[in-house]
Amino acid sequence: MAERPEDLNLPNAVITRIIKEALPDGVNVSKEARRAISQAASVFVLYATSCANSFAMKAKRKTLNAGDVMSAMEEMEFERFLPPLRDALEAYKKGQKGKKEASEQKKKDKEKKNGTEEHDKSREEEEEEEEHMEEEDGENEGEEEDVEN
Amino acid sequence: MVSVLGGRIYTRRWRDMAATVVESGALGDSELDRSGAEEPRGEGEEDGAQHTSPAGGHSRLAKLPLSRIKALMKADPDLSLASQESVFIIAKATELFVEMIAKDALVYAQQGKRKTLQRKDLDNAIEAIDEFAFLEGTLD
Repeated sequence: MAERPEDLNLPNAVITRIIKEALPDGVNVSKEARRAISQAASVFVLYATSCANSFAMKAKRKTLNAGDVMSAMEEMEFERFLPPLRDALEAYKKGQKGKKEASEQKKKDKEKKNGTEEHDKSREEEEEEEEHMEEEDGENEGEEEDVEN
Repeated sequence: MVSVLGGRIYTRRWRDMAATVVESGALGDSELDRSGAEEPRGEGEEDGAQHTSPAGGHSRLAKLPLSRIKALMKADPDLSLASQESVFIIAKATELFVEMIAKDALVYAQQGKRKTLQRKDLDNAIEAIDEFAFLEGTLD
């Protein structure tokens, strides 16, 4: 599970873009300032993760969820982030749902092609079960990665 | 390891991790940002925010790559599992944080009648603004 050191930092290009878009035209950013902001962003991730994780642990959950992160933001005194974060989360969830439906549609189309008519019934029932589970555990389906240390 | 600061309890562990990350960052500071250009293949399925998303047509909601955010999160030994949503929200929050600190630092540059943001402006902002207190002593 060894991560290359440079992987623990966020891409310079993206950080630079975010900074530029936040500042008025005509303002420049020195390389050192950019670097410091990038480092600060990494520290922010670590701090937020640690904070969010303590909420998850308090609730006796092993999986960090979005609510934990929201609680962490409050704890860290970044309440101002909450409204835009909630909006972003909604948009993200919609996007994920669309993605899932698209891939399920693909699965169905594929099966149609294969012409497995006789197996279809039992298959469909299974699929529906899976679908149901996936919707419930939307967050957990194959998206968790075992963080082994 | 645990200290009480202003009524809140902090574990200091993330600070140690921060030190590691910041130090290692000194190596990867070249403009040759290879990971910015190529997306790590294996992480495709959870990077809903990537412009090269395999599902196609999925709009980019986060600018920071979720794979990298997750890699950072994994530095925390206490963390077992993280939902995809939580990774996304942390990515988003980090973007908001970058915007915020850049703007706050700008105030100091403007006070110094400068149009270029410098490291010292960051240091000033960190010292002056409560929300940035967690950064004290963590940057190079």
